[in-house]
Amino acid sequence: MQSKLSDIALIEQTLGGNQSAYTDLVKRHQRFVFTLAMRFAKSREDAEEIAQDCFIKAYRSLAAFQGQSKFSTWLYSIVYTTAMTFLRKKRLDTDSIDDENIYIQIENNTSGYDVNNAENKSRSFYLNKAIEQLLPDDATIITMFYKGELSLEEIGQALGMEANTVKVKLFRARQRLKEKLERNLKHEAKELI
Amino acid sequence: MNTIEETLWNYIDGNCSPDEQKAIHTLIAGDEAYRLKYQELLKLNTEFSAMELDEPSMAFTYNVMEAIRTEQAQQPLKAAINKRIILGIAIFFVLTIAILLGFVLSNIQLSAVTVATPAGLKMPEVNTYFTKPVIEGFLFFDVVMALYLFDTFLRRKSQPKEI
Repeated sequence: MQSKLSDIALIEQTLGGNQSAYTDLVKRHQRFVFTLAMRFAKSREDAEEIAQDCFIKAYRSLAAFQGQSKFSTWLYSIVYTTAMTFLRKKRLDTDSIDDENIYIQIENNTSGYDVNNAENKSRSFYLNKAIEQLLPDDATIITMFYKGELSLEEIGQALGMEANTVKVKLFRARQRLKEKLERNLKHEAKELI
Repeated sequence: MNTIEETLWNYIDGNCSPDEQKAIHTLIAGDEAYRLKYQELLKLNTEFSAMELDEPSMAFTYNVMEAIRTEQAQQPLKAAINKRIILGIAIFFVLTIAILLGFVLSNIQLSAVTVATPAGLKMPEVNTYFTKPVIEGFLFFDVVMALYLFDTFLRRKSQPKEI
């Protein structure tokens, strides 16, 4: 079955002219690529634009992929560079997330949601909110580590960093995520954590 | 300097050496502060692992493939055609013509050929057209053309390929 084929086999078929093989590759990786794009763009429209751009870029340079690393690692490095370029273009102030004033705005949004949709409170909701409040780099490393099934070395390859740097960054990102979670949940965090 | 948290995260991620792992295991078993922190981080780790991925729109795959198709359609014809195919066609024609020519030439009996010209027809004197200056001019033009083509070929070769 086509869907059981490995990434490498699908790439070979694509290079051989079978475009539906690339459709399968896109379907296989689109959720993760889109999630990574969301870590940078914060809006679904922009994230879709970034993710789409990544898959087109990957298609263009598919022949240059030598298979020395996993296809996913290679693809995520494209996501990272595309997203960074996108951020530069959009001139988003990435540091502002840590700004206390902005944080209060986000916090107020969250608490507004709490009042009106108390029944919708869920662990994933609070976790996603906390991730949204992280810096893109922190959110990306956490997402890659927990959902990308990548080792520290592979994350380093994708982001162009040393594995040790990734390790330190992951540790700090987890600390920040924990803090955000606690701040968002206030007293409820104690129960959750 | 490793904090308790950093040490425990390394332990949870499996980034410790067997000796370190053993030491941390003993610490968790014997030290209450370590045990509580370990449990807290373990819960957080489970929480982070349960993070949900976002789903793009239903038309995402279609949009990507459509964009790729559009891009390919916009490619200039010169770039879209495989050069090997052109070379193959050229070789086919050259071979066919060569075989036909060889066959025809091998079947001609020159001694049996008698050219009968009609009575009133005057054959033009070829020698009057192919004079020395004409042949020299023709050769000069050929040399100039060859140099021009060779120069174009070298320029094209020295240009870096676009990625």
